[in-house]
Amino acid sequence: MVKHIFSRIKHYLSVYQGIVITNFIESMNFRLHFFLLILMDLLFYISALASIHIIYNHVETIGVWNREQLLFFVAFMLGINQLTMTFVSEAYWRFPELIRTGDLDFILLKPIGAVFSVFFRYLRPGSMLNMIFTWGVIIYYGLILNLSVFDWCALPFLLVLGFLLQNAIEMVISCSMFWMLEGSGVNFVRMELQQLARWPDFIYNKIVSRILMTILPILLIGSAPIRFLFNANDWLPFLGMGLAILLFWGVLRFVWQLGLASYESASS
Amino acid sequence: MKPFLLKWFQTMQVSWSNLMVYKLNFFLQIIGPMLVFFFIKLSLWSSIYGGYDYVKIGGYTLSEMLSYHLWVMIAGMIIMSSTASNLSEDIRLGKISSYLIYPFSFWEFHAAKYLARQVIQIIIALITIISCYFLLDRLYIAFEPVSLAIGFFVALLAGYYWFAANYLIGILAFWLDETWTIMVGLQIMTYFFSGAIIPLELFPETMVEILYWTPFPYISFVPAKILMGHIPPLLPVIGILSFWSLFITLISYLVWRKGLSLYTAAGM
Amino acid sequence: MIFSEGLNKNFKIYRKPPGFLQSLKSLFYREYHEKQAVDSFDIHIPKGKIVGLLGPNGAGKTTLMKMFTGIIIPSSGSLKVLGYTPSKRERAFRKKIALVMGHKSQLWWDLPAMDSFNLLQRYYEISNADFKQRVDELSDLLNVTHILNIHVRKLSLGERMKVELMSSLLHKPEVIFLDEPTIGLDLIAQKNIRDFLIQYHKKTGSTILITSHYMADIDALCSELILIINGSKRFDGSIKQFENLLGSEKIVNFSFSKPIENENGVWQQFKAHWNHDNTQVELSIPEKQMREVSQKILSEYPVCDFNTDKMPIERVMKTLLENPELAGPYR
Repeated sequence: MVKHIFSRIKHYLSVYQGIVITNFIESMNFRLHFFLLILMDLLFYISALASIHIIYNHVETIGVWNREQLLFFVAFMLGINQLTMTFVSEAYWRFPELIRTGDLDFILLKPIGAVFSVFFRYLRPGSMLNMIFTWGVIIYYGLILNLSVFDWCALPFLLVLGFLLQNAIEMVISCSMFWMLEGSGVNFVRMELQQLARWPDFIYNKIVSRILMTILPILLIGSAPIRFLFNANDWLPFLGMGLAILLFWGVLRFVWQLGLASYESASS
Repeated sequence: MKPFLLKWFQTMQVSWSNLMVYKLNFFLQIIGPMLVFFFIKLSLWSSIYGGYDYVKIGGYTLSEMLSYHLWVMIAGMIIMSSTASNLSEDIRLGKISSYLIYPFSFWEFHAAKYLARQVIQIIIALITIISCYFLLDRLYIAFEPVSLAIGFFVALLAGYYWFAANYLIGILAFWLDETWTIMVGLQIMTYFFSGAIIPLELFPETMVEILYWTPFPYISFVPAKILMGHIPPLLPVIGILSFWSLFITLISYLVWRKGLSLYTAAGM
Repeated sequence: MIFSEGLNKNFKIYRKPPGFLQSLKSLFYREYHEKQAVDSFDIHIPKGKIVGLLGPNGAGKTTLMKMFTGIIIPSSGSLKVLGYTPSKRERAFRKKIALVMGHKSQLWWDLPAMDSFNLLQRYYEISNADFKQRVDELSDLLNVTHILNIHVRKLSLGERMKVELMSSLLHKPEVIFLDEPTIGLDLIAQKNIRDFLIQYHKKTGSTILITSHYMADIDALCSELILIINGSKRFDGSIKQFENLLGSEKIVNFSFSKPIENENGVWQQFKAHWNHDNTQVELSIPEKQMREVSQKILSEYPVCDFNTDKMPIERVMKTLLENPELAGPYR
């Protein structure tokens, strides 16, 4: 049994290595696009941080957080965004096309998990470089906030958890494309959810906050881990985050099978 | 003259039909983001003000700030309708060959589509204004016919500018494989510098002085303020906006000519 | 190998009449009807055969292929390929099949084919030794060694089809499904693909199921064929049996050096079709009488050219497409 799992993991790693290589080679064909992607992301990150800076020129706190705390939080969310842009973003935009043209067939024929093949097939090597910026900002504000050693060690782990939760939710939502005539609109829903998650949960009113931390727990992506980091007594949302990750990955398996069953594969 | 107008009208009709078919997409791609963006700002600023209306930030009370963002959203309905257009795909996929044969130019075709969208967006904006008038407190929405008229006029002019800017980036597809990165980059910068997130009164003064020469403030800030009833000297507004619109249109014409000669030479 | 009983597949088709008002209406209500794409299909294809799957467009051929490969789930009925249930999409099953679609490509567009092959090696967990051997062998057979390092988008259609085929065979599939592999190719390219498939089949003995609109493909490759019209099976048997489906008459064309009077009953007897100036005639002659009648005409009339149908299955197919009821239900 263990041997079986081990060989499966080996298989996925081997395929992913191939995917990384192919994406690298391909991106070298489009060098301008490579740079423009990096630039576009940087513009976004800078404008997000600058907006908050400007607001804090006029107020001391937003909700319960001061300037450095909120900037740290946003930097954390941008860190998750950077991971998303690098590893999965392109795949989400290609997915409705795959369904519409019937190219999903080729993915279904391969002897490897289709969800993996669909969502991790495209890597943006350029966006990988933006890690320097996002981590630079996270570290900068982390230093100002005097994070403990434990905090620093936990940080990458928390970032990955945020990434996992965000994508579990987004993949589940993307499954709706199986039932839609033209699914690309769903990608805009994802963008909106990401926007909502990029602000701490306490700015929203009670009802919305409750919904977005339970039924559609996008606020748990950033607010949960950061609140826990700032105050170890505030662990409840973080526990919720762990549960949500497990729940949504489970839901994904289920909804994906449903979607495939109704996939009618653009004929010939 | 009549057949010429007929072409425009028929193109618009087809655009409307297309919008209806992908009705869900229309909502998700255009209406959805607007509402979510507004909701975030509503939550954010309510949180910043701590719910107190007597606090003034940048000269705004809470209700004035919320009113500002409401008008930014309504102005955005009219101005930002070109965000979703996709003409670079036509060039990339070589589809423009048909346009070269039709007795209707590429520009005319897209301008007609833009008008079609604009008509719908104006109707949506009017419905929103009327609903708000009846549903909301006078504190949030003034209803001065003169301001509304002038505001609509400036918004339409700004809308044309936005169409022209997106059109120009779109036809860069003659040289670039993917133009969406530039489009998104422009959007990000525009959202930031146009006062869509934060009213320009909160920005550093020197920055704002320079910004007034760029088209940015006229996309959100200026139309929103006019619609709110704070009408600035109109001559510079219309002058600068018209200048930028004409300038971009002229550049588009030259770029199109250059691109077309490359296209036909390559015999794609 | 491939075995099905009572296989069914229905699809929902939505209607939207044109016009703005109808578009508005469709915001709230969409009418649909059900289409029976595959109807009570029984099939039994033994190992090692090349079988043709024929039928008009929309008959259900592609739907069948996709059910065989596990891409579409059947609405009802039983289906087993290589002993597996395709819709379960087990990994071991997927490693043993291949599907090549003439309209689509699985190769990365902006990369040389070899790069795509390298990635496929990982997907199918092919050992380095096996992989090298397969690549050499196949590229030799297909004569594509020189184009493996050229970007796929720069290849001609014929070359693309060859590397596409190659990419699907790297993992030594036991069953190969080909959905219109020669579509859009020029005559030479078509022949190359055919020759390759014949050789490959000889070498490996894999089972091949092919759909094509080019009768030349079927004629050259298949020993048996299955006819599907409107989702149901109308014929399942050898090529020879198919040729005689509409009777065992042979079509013979005669060209004469001068116009012939055709009031003579002998012409009517054989369902003569004349051209506009009576210099050419097409006769349907029962197989047994072929020699006798041909000799008679050759001796009595100034024949300058004659030939028999090169591809009887093409003629049968054409007639069936025009008059599907002639196929009758499959007994």
